Amino acid sequence: MLKVSERNNILTHIGQLSYEEIGFLLNRMSAYIDKQGFNITVKKKIYAAMVESLENIYKHQDIIQTDPEHLPRFSLFIEDQIISLFASNSLRVEKISPLMQKLDKVNALDRHGLKDLYKFTILSGNVSPKGGAGLGIINIAKVSENKINYTFEKINDKFSYFTINVLISLNVK
Amino acid sequence: METLYIEPTEFTPKVIFDPENSTFDISGFSRPENVIGFYKPILKWMEDYNDIVLSNNTQFEKSILTVNIKMTYFNSASSKFLLDILLEFMKFLSKGNKVEINWYYEEGDDEILESGEEISDMLGYQFNFIPF
Repeated sequence: MLKVSERNNILTHIGQLSYEEIGFLLNRMSAYIDKQGFNITVKKKIYAAMVESLENIYKHQDIIQTDPEHLPRFSLFIEDQIISLFASNSLRVEKISPLMQKLDKVNALDRHGLKDLYKFTILSGNVSPKGGAGLGIINIAKVSENKINYTFEKINDKFSYFTINVLISLNVK
Repeated sequence: METLYIEPTEFTPKVIFDPENSTFDISGFSRPENVIGFYKPILKWMEDYNDIVLSNNTQFEKSILTVNIKMTYFNSASSKFLLDILLEFMKFLSKGNKVEINWYYEEGDDEILESGEEISDMLGYQFNFIPF
């Protein structure tokens, strides 16, 4: 279980996501960042990590209609000069292995390696019918400059509850 | 050939491709819900423009093509299509056209600047990076 400790919650969303809802959450985050006076690069990093995380939920959420305990969930916290993003959604178990491989791959790379992987993927990959270009997780890792923490919690034989935790430092030059 | 003009929306950028003046502008924000549906027609327009310029030897033949990219944000799926659009412009180089790519970024926005540098690197073509 990823730890959600005492920290200031900036925003939380629980429930199925619509495209408009993503925009609403982004606007709320932007308003908060502007109010705090964080620099523009930090804002863009948080923005990018949020968009890719929320769009991943939007595109890949396998909603279990009878299970209100495992709805999509998104939260943003601030603690000790770190922005901490949590994004969760249920998904079919057959998606776990390729997703885990991808996460482990990006977590094993340094900044230079991530740039190369991004370049390789964008030049060789096609865009899926859902509009994904296979770049989202790489981009999250690039902007956060930290490893992506993740968990898969078993719900039943068919579904698992997937959570990522992304950390972004506020101390960017 | 008609100018391609696409009004910006909350999720999509403004696009003005003006063949008469050889200026090609994309500006704003890009997070289309249907990224393929938004960008495919632009790529189709580019292919048609390319055909006209390359096969008909019109007045566009040796003109300088000026591409202005002035984005405040684009998601990763959009970056794939921005690259594809710019790849279309690269085809004109071999035909004697000069292509100038101006990549604008908000002063201090290292993310957009870095994205431009990466795309420039992928194309193997120098951009002008211009803060605003």
